[in-house]
Order: sequence, then C-alpha cells, then structure tokens
Amino acid sequence: MNKKALGWAAPLIFIGVLFFWPLGNILSKGFVGDWLFHLLKARDWQITWFTVWQALLSTFLTLVLAVPGAYILYRKKFPGQRAIRSLITIPFMLPTIVVATGFTIFRDATHLWSNPIVWIIAAHVFLNYSLAVRTIGSFWMSLDLQTEEAAALSGAGHFRTLWSISLPQLKPALISAAASTFLYCSASYGVMLVLGGGQVHSLETEIASAANTLLDLPKASALALIQTLLSVIAFGISQTGGRANIGIELGEHDGNVKRADRRDWLAILITLPVFVLLIAAPMFQIVWKTFTEGDGFVANFVNLTGRGTREILNLSVVDATLNSLRNMLISASIALVIGVLVSFLLALPTKNRSSVLIVRVLDVLFLLPLGISTVVLGFGYLVTFGGYPLPLRETWLVVPLIQSVMAVPLVVRLIYPALVALDKSHLEAAATAGATRWQILWLIELPMIRFTVYTAAAFAALVSLGEFGAASLLAYGDQATLPTVLYSLISKPGGENYGMAMAASTFIMLLTFVVVFVISRESPREAKAKRNGLA
Amino acid sequence: MQKLLKAAVIAAIASLALAGCSPTVDNKTVVLVTHDSFAISKTLQKQFETESGYKLKLVKAGDAGAMTNKLVLTKDQPIGDAVFGIDNTLTEVASDNQLIDGALAAIDFGDVCLNYDIDWFAKKNLATPANISALTSSKYKNLTVVSNPASSSSGMAFLATTIAVFGEEGYLGYWSKLKANGLKVVAGWEDAYFTEFSGSSGHGKYPIVLSYSSSPAFEIRDNGKSQTASILNDCYRQTEYAGVLAKAKNPNGAKALVEFMKSKAFQSELPESMYVYPVDESVSLPESWAKFAPAANTLAGDELDVAGNRKVWLKAWSKLFE
Repeated sequence: MNKKALGWAAPLIFIGVLFFWPLGNILSKGFVGDWLFHLLKARDWQITWFTVWQALLSTFLTLVLAVPGAYILYRKKFPGQRAIRSLITIPFMLPTIVVATGFTIFRDATHLWSNPIVWIIAAHVFLNYSLAVRTIGSFWMSLDLQTEEAAALSGAGHFRTLWSISLPQLKPALISAAASTFLYCSASYGVMLVLGGGQVHSLETEIASAANTLLDLPKASALALIQTLLSVIAFGISQTGGRANIGIELGEHDGNVKRADRRDWLAILITLPVFVLLIAAPMFQIVWKTFTEGDGFVANFVNLTGRGTREILNLSVVDATLNSLRNMLISASIALVIGVLVSFLLALPTKNRSSVLIVRVLDVLFLLPLGISTVVLGFGYLVTFGGYPLPLRETWLVVPLIQSVMAVPLVVRLIYPALVALDKSHLEAAATAGATRWQILWLIELPMIRFTVYTAAAFAALVSLGEFGAASLLAYGDQATLPTVLYSLISKPGGENYGMAMAASTFIMLLTFVVVFVISRESPREAKAKRNGLA
Repeated sequence: MQKLLKAAVIAAIASLALAGCSPTVDNKTVVLVTHDSFAISKTLQKQFETESGYKLKLVKAGDAGAMTNKLVLTKDQPIGDAVFGIDNTLTEVASDNQLIDGALAAIDFGDVCLNYDIDWFAKKNLATPANISALTSSKYKNLTVVSNPASSSSGMAFLATTIAVFGEEGYLGYWSKLKANGLKVVAGWEDAYFTEFSGSSGHGKYPIVLSYSSSPAFEIRDNGKSQTASILNDCYRQTEYAGVLAKAKNPNGAKALVEFMKSKAFQSELPESMYVYPVDESVSLPESWAKFAPAANTLAGDELDVAGNRKVWLKAWSKLFE
C-alpha cells in the first residue's frame, strides 16, 4: 500500500498542479454574482441536452463504423494496410478551419441536407473514426485469435463469431473508445462553430462566447461546471458496463493474422465507402486546393519557407514546424510516462470495496481533462501561473505541459483496459521466478500490449501536433506552432495567403502521416522474426 | 521498485520547478500583448530595437475580445507591458477595469463594408447594390453571406451598422427581410470570405460578402484589376488603440513602443502588414490601395455603445437566427 501511495504521488502532483489547481482557481473566480442563476436557466439546459444527444449520436455512429474498420485494418492484413491505418489518423488532429474547408467538397450536396447538425455529426465521425478504430483495433490485434478460430471451425458464421465472441472480448476497448469519443464530441468547439455557422449552440460554444465575446466569467464558469458534471456522469455510466477484467488471453504476436478474403465482404463494404467518402475526400479537397490556389503548388510551398512576402507571420513555417515537433516530443513523452504509470496503478488488484471506490475516483480524476473547455482551462493558466510560486505563463514550456495534460487521459483510456485484460498467469509465473512488479510491467506486460502502446504514443503525439487551443492561449511571437501559423494565414485576404494556408494544411497532413507511420512501424527485430516465420 | 517510484516523484517535482524558473524579463525587453492579426516586419522591429534600445517580444492572446478579457483577468500581474489592438467596442471595458496607464492612443482603423464580386455581377448583367438597404431586394436573393455577430467582430460591426441605419425598432425587421431573402450566416470572417464568397480563393457561391474596404486590394488579377470592390456606404469603422498596461514591469519601454507605433515608419507599414488604414493622414497609401481600396464614404454606428448593449442585441438577433 505504501509503495502504491508513493507511486500515485507523481501523477497526482502532475494533474493536481497542471489541471485542478488552475481549473479550481478560474471557477472560483467565476462563482460570483449570478452564476448560480445560469445553472437554473432553461436555455442552458436545452443547450446541455443538445450537447449530450449530438455527442451520443456521434459516438454511436463512430463505433458502428469503427468496428468493421478495426476488423479489416487490424484483425486482417492486406497490402497497403499500414499506409491506410496512418491515413485515417490524419483527421484526428486537423485544425477545424481545415476540416471545414475539406468539407466544402460536399457543398453541392448540401441541398440534400440543409441541416448543419448533419454535417457537425459527420465531421465528428470524420475526426474520431481513427481514434475508435485504433483503440478497438490495437486491442483486437493483441487478443488471442484461438477462440474466434475455434468458433469459425465449429461452423459459426462471421456474425455469430463477432456478436458472441469478439464483441464481448472487445468490451473494454469499446467502452474506452466510446468514452473518449463522447468526451471529444461533447467538448467539440471549432466544428460546432464553423459548420454550425455560429447558430448551433453547445456547452463549449456557449462557454467560449461567454468568455471571449461577452466577457461574462460567471456564465462561463457555471457552464464549465455543467460540462464537468457531464463528464463525470458519462464516466459513471461507462463503468456500469462493467470492467472485463476476466483474464483474456492476449496473443503475443500477430504472426497468424490472415489475409483479408471474400468472406470479409461486409466489413469491406462498410469500410471502403467510409474511407473514400468520409476520410479521403475532404483531405483530397485540401491537397487539391494546394495545387490550384494561390501561386500554384510549388510556389505555395516556397512561400511557406519564408515569412510571406508581406511578412505577416512572425516566423517562418520551418521554425513553426520545429516548435511543433519540439512540443510534440516533450508532451508525448510526459503523457506516455504519466499515462502508463497511472494505468499500471489503476490496474493493480484491489483488496476491498473502499479501495475499489478510491480507484474509480482516481480514474475519473485523470479522465476529466478530456471533457473540459480549453478556453476555461486557458484562463485558469493565466490567473494561476502569473507569478509566485510558479511563473509558468512566461515560458514556452507551458504549451507542451498543457498539451500533455490533455493527452494523459487518452493514454490511460488506451493502456489501462489492455493491462486489465491481460492474462494474469504470466505475471504469477514471473513473480514466482522472482521478478519485481516493475520488471514484470516493463519486460512482460508492456511488450505484450505493444500495439496499444504504439497507438497511445501516436495519439499523444497528435494531440500535441494539432492542438490549437493551448498553443494559442498565449502564443509568444517566436513560439508559434503550425496550427497557429495556419490560422494567421487564413485570417487575411488574398490568394497568396490562402495558397500558403492550403500548403500549410497539406504539410500538416503529411507530417501527421509520417509521425504515425514511424511510430507504428515494427522494430527491425520483429520484422525479421516475421519474415522468418518465427513470430 | 521503491527507488523507481521515488525517482518518478522527484522527476515530477523537478520538472515543475524547472518550468517555474522562467527567464527573468529584464528592463531591456518590452512585451507587447496583441491580437492574432498583429504583424510587424523584421526590418521595422529592428528599427524599433535599435532606436529605443529595447528588445521587442510579442504575445498574441487571441482575437481582440479574448485578448481584452485576458488582460482583465490578469490585470494585477499583466502578461506584458503594452497592448495593441483594443478596438472602439472594447475601450470601455479597458477603462472600466483600469487596464491602461494613461490614455489609449489611436493607431489605425479599418472599415467593415460589404464586398462584391465584380466579375459575377458583370456576367449576370446585374447592377451592384448601392447600400445595405438594397440587399433585401429580390434582385439580390440568395447572394449575400455575412459572419455571425455572436462569434466574429466583423459580424458585430455589421449588426451595429444595421442598428444605426434602421434604429433600435427597425433593425430586426431588416434582418428578418434579409433572412427571407436568402442571407447566409457563417461563423467567422474566414468562413465567409474564403469559403462562401465567389470573388476570392474559395470560389464559393455568394457574390456579396461582409468584409473590409481594404480587401479588394488583395484580389488583383493578372489584368491589373481587382476582381472585387466594396460598397463604400454604410460601413462601420473599427479603430484600434495601443496603450501602456497598468502595473507594467517596463512602463518606459511600453511608452517608447506606443510612441513608435504612432511614428511615420510604423504607420506607413500598416496597410501592407495588417490590412488597415493608418490614423496619420499625412501617410500616403500604397498605390493598389489608392486605386482599389479607398476608405468608406459614409459611416454608421460610430455613436453606438456597443460594449454596453452587446448582450441585449445579440440575444434579440440570436432569437431570429436559430
């Protein structure tokens, strides 16, 4: 118990100082005057209800499409699979204005559905599809396939196998994917604002307009409180689904993954249109515009390496890329270390009911950053880290730190269910052989769930690379990142700026692809083992 | 195990402490808090630094509204020494909260006007609208896109214009006519201009857009002519101010910076760097501006108290557009 408490100290200090302190600080400043009044207003409850149902619907659609996607992309193999896995991940971190530009490819179809909510939900699926596919897929990949194969051999059809064997086994990953997607969709800001024309209101857009336009801190704080409660309730509900710590046998390798064949027609039939229409088409639109707008493809990129002919950027895109990559390395490393530690501690066996309760509370503490308004948190940083004792505000480290706070929940949602689902017999054997708990984690458990660890690393990196809210929180002139540079390009008239903005978007997509591709590559040893048929 | 955990705790504390050791800002650096649209060329920045002896550091704090709110939140420990970009709708917030040491100095202005796509109107052989009242005519059905006043400052400027032109009792009637005439409302300026407007890079479907009187200077085509022009009547003038922040760590540097912004060198760069007009009338505009982007002929809404009425107006407007 002592060791465990000591283990919790580091992540708790981290999240306490970097999340709960500034959040509490700003909320307490807002809880003055008529803030309580906002908790009782009908309009705010209407907005809350809309926030909930659109997030539920987005989450449901994302999961329904993601299961066949995860099956074909992770449980089967086919040529070009890794490229497609990396491609579908790009939307997750695209700045909203780019998403909206990409979605103009559907502009001619808008007379079919003039309701902006349709497009908001489509964009939510576009953004979260890869997160769900990878959460489910990397878990699925680690599962031992024997049960499924046995079922198939004994004559069970694909559907029956899926329904009665695979889905129950996948439950921890499904719950995790649902929780993350729901929180992302409920706190979604840019998509809601841009695709909704500013006329569709969710909690997050109301908070932003209260804080930024109306300068009404009490209202923003009251709504942020509702938002926090919503996250806690969503978490509670996801937990009643039960935890599947039933000791699933995880396969140690993917050597026996079979090629996709004709019997997988349904999964292909669902995934192919999703990939082509929903994921690839909007991205193609951006790349296309890089060729056709501004001064042309090459010139747009050449312009990017400078500060623009009118020097509207305070630094070149090359410098901004370096800033972005530096922030990414720092924040992803911190998020991975803290996230793995938290997952490990959460997954330790609990002795009695009170410690179960403690674990649940700790679990939700580390989930909350996903569902909270970046505007509110940003304001919290401003009032908290101005001077003594922690003048964080003045340093460039504030951006990667706040980004790591946002990435930790994602890492935990990915690693924790995988650790819980691990078969414990290996661990017992190792413990008998005299291995310490730490050695077991490092040498046995993490390698067994390595696909999940790769996924967690990729998403932690993407959260940082695409994050705009925190980076624009206080963007020091020479510390601008790619998304902030993109935004300053697209907020000025002129074809040259627009062309550069499109080139920057294409560049961000390319960079994302490379980052994800590199992180998810097999180590040379694994690849060799596979070639030799030893894996 | 215990050792590792101890190391983790120490590392966490150390990294926080490390982050706390910020480079102390000395009196030789002046920090300018500004909105995201601020730009200054390297040459000009060097000139300021050599002339004044201060190093210039920029902090971009969101759009003008977000920036002002951040300054209000941090007024006891300001995030910089000087501010640029508080506009005339926000000056009252600044004075109510005693953000500024001394007075705000006007630096530049921009006119929020409707722009239209010259080519589109020529092709259709349609006369262009002369003022905002004309937009409700059936001739111009489904042609106009504006940004939402609740989420963009140009949109708010246009809402103020309509209140000035049609009065408190008439503006909602005008907006409902616009709505019936197929007005498109989008979230921000960039969505309106770059996504929906037909005269710019997005190749949208709407030939009339709410933008600035300066925008046509940036749509000059190969034939040397601009594809767009502004309707120079019923425009709203946004004036931007700079000032020394109260409790600034380096008030002298801040004063020098504000003075520099009023200088000819800085003023004459404003059109090219920030797409706005200098307040110093003796500064001549670039050629393309003189030709294609003159300032507005008639203004509206100057006398309105936007800061005080924003909430009420937005509430009434939002009822109509939801």
